[in-house]
Amino acid sequence: MPEDLRTLRERKKLSLNQLASKSGISIAMLIEYEKGEREIPPADLRRLAKPLYVNEWDINPRSAPPPSPPRPERPAGPPRPPRPREEQPEKLPKEKRPPRPPAPARSTQVAHLLTLAARFNIDRAALEAEIGKPLEQLTLKEARFWNGRFMRRIAEERPPKQAVDRRRAYLPEGIDGFELAYLQAQQEAGALLHFTLFNGQTFEGTVAGFGPYQITIRESGGDEITLNKLAIAYYRKAGGAA
Amino acid sequence: MSLGDELRYLRAFHGGAHPQEIEAQAGLKPGTLRAIEQRYRRTGEDDEVLAKIAAVYDVPLEKLQYHRERYRKALSTVLQQALEAGTTARFELRTGETLSGRVRWWDLGAFGLEPEGDGPLIVVQRHAVVDWPMPDDQRRKTSEVSETSEV
Repeated sequence: MPEDLRTLRERKKLSLNQLASKSGISIAMLIEYEKGEREIPPADLRRLAKPLYVNEWDINPRSAPPPSPPRPERPAGPPRPPRPREEQPEKLPKEKRPPRPPAPARSTQVAHLLTLAARFNIDRAALEAEIGKPLEQLTLKEARFWNGRFMRRIAEERPPKQAVDRRRAYLPEGIDGFELAYLQAQQEAGALLHFTLFNGQTFEGTVAGFGPYQITIRESGGDEITLNKLAIAYYRKAGGAA
Repeated sequence: MSLGDELRYLRAFHGGAHPQEIEAQAGLKPGTLRAIEQRYRRTGEDDEVLAKIAAVYDVPLEKLQYHRERYRKALSTVLQQALEAGTTARFELRTGETLSGRVRWWDLGAFGLEPEGDGPLIVVQRHAVVDWPMPDDQRRKTSEVSETSEV
């Protein structure tokens, strides 16, 4: 049963400051999460789960708003005397300023707009026709609006990026993309692997798990051995000759 | 095996000391050894530095110079060429074995070798490869690089 963030935090005796520094999420954001003003996105759930020592599904993404504290009752006393109005200084009427003329567009904004339009084969004349006025008369706000419009158009037409979850290992012997896929496939298949180390020692077992620099295998007897990647020379499915 | 791999291997055999300790023993600037160990490109151009490291590990300088020519990117080039051509490649391992077969894939840590004849795919760790037949153009490139500054 998921619990509210505040409940979990208080149970772990963590202050907002401590949780913020451990999770990397700002205090302001944590307060919003705890008050239920904002739903916790999955990425932040993962970041919060670790310092709270819970699974991410144990945290309620939308906390219930805290009950408002009861207002302290005012002690009944004599009613306040009304303020004497005469003592207040009279407010002077504000002078009305003439409205400022809108700031003209910066030359860089216009240049950027022309570049963006060129991506859609729109020349200056066509652009001015679309905007409805010459570019020299464009105001700062209008230039911002049109630049934003073209940027959104570019973003919409761009093919979505494929999400690649690839974290390259820090050390050269670390497990990289292809080896990761190979080990995952062998682990899922429960394949028996034969490992040969630098010193000629050999081990055989199924992959129980692996990290960037270690592979843990389970031998036929049930024993688990963690092999350091740096010590491994090569490995293959058991049963074939090297 | 690249110079970086060889140095990490030697460091492991010397009690797994921290690179800073080895640097202090060799009288090198902090970070020198770490930089050589981590690089994928050709590195260790300065023979004076290599001689100091060789003295600490008690190995001949020529040994380190040999590994300097077998940097990681050079192996990547050979693996890519073998992968594209679909030809059989031979690799000498630190275990003393020689493995040959077709390269099916390679990444920064290992490569998949389909052995000649029947047999399952062998996942060879790149840091275990001591030597490989270098194509002529790579030898030329290597000698050119050695004449210029470090890549």
